[in-house]
Amino acid sequence: MNREEVNNRVKKVIAAVLEKNVSDINDGANFVTDLGASSIQSIRLVAGFEEEFSIEMDEEKSLQVQTVSGAVDFISAYL
Amino acid sequence: MSYRPLTEKEINLLVSQGCISEGWKEISVHKDFTTTNIINTRFEGKIKLGVISRTISDVEGITRKCGIYNSYIRNCEISDNVCISNVKNLANYSVGDHVLIENVGSLVTDSETTFGNGIEVDSLNEGGGRGLPIFDKLTSQVAYMAVLYRHDKEFTSRLMDMIGEYTNSKRSSMGRIDSYASIRDTLIIRDVSIGSYTVISGSSLLENGTIVSCKDAQTFIGEGVIARKFIILSGSVVDGNALIEKTFVGQGVKIGKQFSSENSLFFANSEAFHGEGCSIFAGPYTVSHHKSTLLIACLFSFYNAGSGTNQSNHMYKLGPVHQGILERGSKTGSFAYLLLPCRIGSYSVVMGKHYTNFDSSDFPFSYITEEKGKSELTPAMNIFTVGTRRDSEKWSLRDRRKDPEKLDLIHFDLYNPYIVGKILNGIGILNELADKTPKTQDFINHKGINIHRLLLKTSRKYYEMALKSYLGNEIIKRLGKIDIITSAHDLRERLRAGGTDGIDRWVDVCGMFAPASKIETIINDVRSGKIGSIKGLTERLKEVYQNYEQYSWEWCSDLINRHTGMSFDDITTDKIIEILEDWKLNRVKLNNMILKDAEKDFDESTRLGFGIDGNSDIRDKDFHAVRGEYHENKFIIGLQKETAAIEKTADMVISFLKKLT
Repeated sequence: MNREEVNNRVKKVIAAVLEKNVSDINDGANFVTDLGASSIQSIRLVAGFEEEFSIEMDEEKSLQVQTVSGAVDFISAYL
Repeated sequence: MSYRPLTEKEINLLVSQGCISEGWKEISVHKDFTTTNIINTRFEGKIKLGVISRTISDVEGITRKCGIYNSYIRNCEISDNVCISNVKNLANYSVGDHVLIENVGSLVTDSETTFGNGIEVDSLNEGGGRGLPIFDKLTSQVAYMAVLYRHDKEFTSRLMDMIGEYTNSKRSSMGRIDSYASIRDTLIIRDVSIGSYTVISGSSLLENGTIVSCKDAQTFIGEGVIARKFIILSGSVVDGNALIEKTFVGQGVKIGKQFSSENSLFFANSEAFHGEGCSIFAGPYTVSHHKSTLLIACLFSFYNAGSGTNQSNHMYKLGPVHQGILERGSKTGSFAYLLLPCRIGSYSVVMGKHYTNFDSSDFPFSYITEEKGKSELTPAMNIFTVGTRRDSEKWSLRDRRKDPEKLDLIHFDLYNPYIVGKILNGIGILNELADKTPKTQDFINHKGINIHRLLLKTSRKYYEMALKSYLGNEIIKRLGKIDIITSAHDLRERLRAGGTDGIDRWVDVCGMFAPASKIETIINDVRSGKIGSIKGLTERLKEVYQNYEQYSWEWCSDLINRHTGMSFDDITTDKIIEILEDWKLNRVKLNNMILKDAEKDFDESTRLGFGIDGNSDIRDKDFHAVRGEYHENKFIIGLQKETAAIEKTADMVISFLKKLT
């Protein structure tokens, strides 16, 4: 899977969990400060990414990812 | 002690000092009695007087000459070296030595009474049906069994008989003010038993109650307090215009700042300020500090109420069904509302308003939130929040009870057979729900509350982390000093539980973790009459409490056996090493997640409002001056040290075990 595809699917999950339009989600956006993710939504994002990509991410490290592009990098490493 | 009648000379002296009595012959005095400091006092009825000659100090250290001044005394036994001054009516009391009573309106035992013992308190259900007669030896465990085990009529009936027998033993028409008590500036005290070293200062009305106190754990009843039908145990403070009625106050409790309470029980180290408690069963460490907080008809323990917390039931039909169970360690956020009846699992946080009845007790460590008017549950999330960790550390350090006899039996372990049993159950349910829920479904309703489908797998992973942390931790605790273990056989022997009493289901008996079977045995023994008194019952509960470590290991070792498929007869060293490696990995991971959560307290969003008139540099400096730096925070440093210690211990033990044959 190329990076663009990962990026698109990451944004799709973010849009669904945080109830945003995909077009409003920038690559550099911070989940908390720019997209307003709460602690619970952060966990849902992790769960959503795992389901979307059929992967199991490290519990500790996955919660440390702060930006959309960071999530793309982090997930890409599992693919 | 030998008492004698007053002599003519003494009567004349007393009269010359302004004393009056129509029955001087009814007065008997200690053989060494002197009249010197008995002034302007009227005596009536049978009176006994001790030697009143020394000085006495009040709580502020101001010394007074012992004596009886400007008072009216009827039917009292007064011991040595008391100071009774300006007491308008002191009647039917036995006053111990070194007691100070000053500026008191009325201090009387009116008629035969049990001094608050036996007063029925409708806790947990204001509509009744769970009434508990309170008494001065009541523990949170006995109260829990009496209030919550109503399904067992025979047990309840026997227990009530035992309580009745005890409370009747307190019946008397003569009150007690025990030695070294101090009662000042108080309007009315009626039918109240006052323990030694009690300090009552500025109270308005105390009626039909018992105050237990001792040298090591003085009890303080302060200004403006109105208390009717109550028991207050040692080391507690009730002050600040508190208004309490039909209320039990356990050891080391603080009630004040205009808190009002009715039909409620407060056990060890609870704190109640400003708000209102109605028919609550406040187990150990229940805390409510804020105005507009109404706690009603709920069971709590290790609980913290946010401001404006409220519970109710708006479905009035045959009457309100007010009954909520908030298990150990729960918290409600500001203006959290719960529709009763409901049940909240241990160590869970409730935020927002919840208008449906639900039961989240299958999922400890949960977040319960309101999303667009709907109640949602995020299981296991509170496992790695800094709040849970801080709370679990602080409770044992904040045990205010100084009484040599601590009544409530309290275990503090965050992870224990009861909680881990719940975690295992939670994992099972999450697996089941995950298996049967299609991907097209966003939410699953479990016992009245919604769980997002996406969380089923993630929450299970968090629970498994806690489980692995628990197993390894218990093995490390059990292993103790390892240098005398010389073989795999030695290792298995060290880990062998040696009993099976603790292996089944556990319960949290309001502060005490215990195998359910042990509590059931006690209940059977109450039913059969083998346990026939409150003393006997509390002793048996104490035995179970004291065996906690043993039962707990039995439960854990059984779990390890089931988890690994190996018993301690044949478990391999490699399997133990695997558990310890899992422990190290997951404990460190959990600690790091907690640290990450703590980091949020120092990030940019928490600096809003800091450096009020300056730029971002001033903001950061102001923030650091007030909140400190992350890496300097005591809790953070402690957790980082703990992580390092876990890694070191794990490496050391694993390397040692690898050498075993």
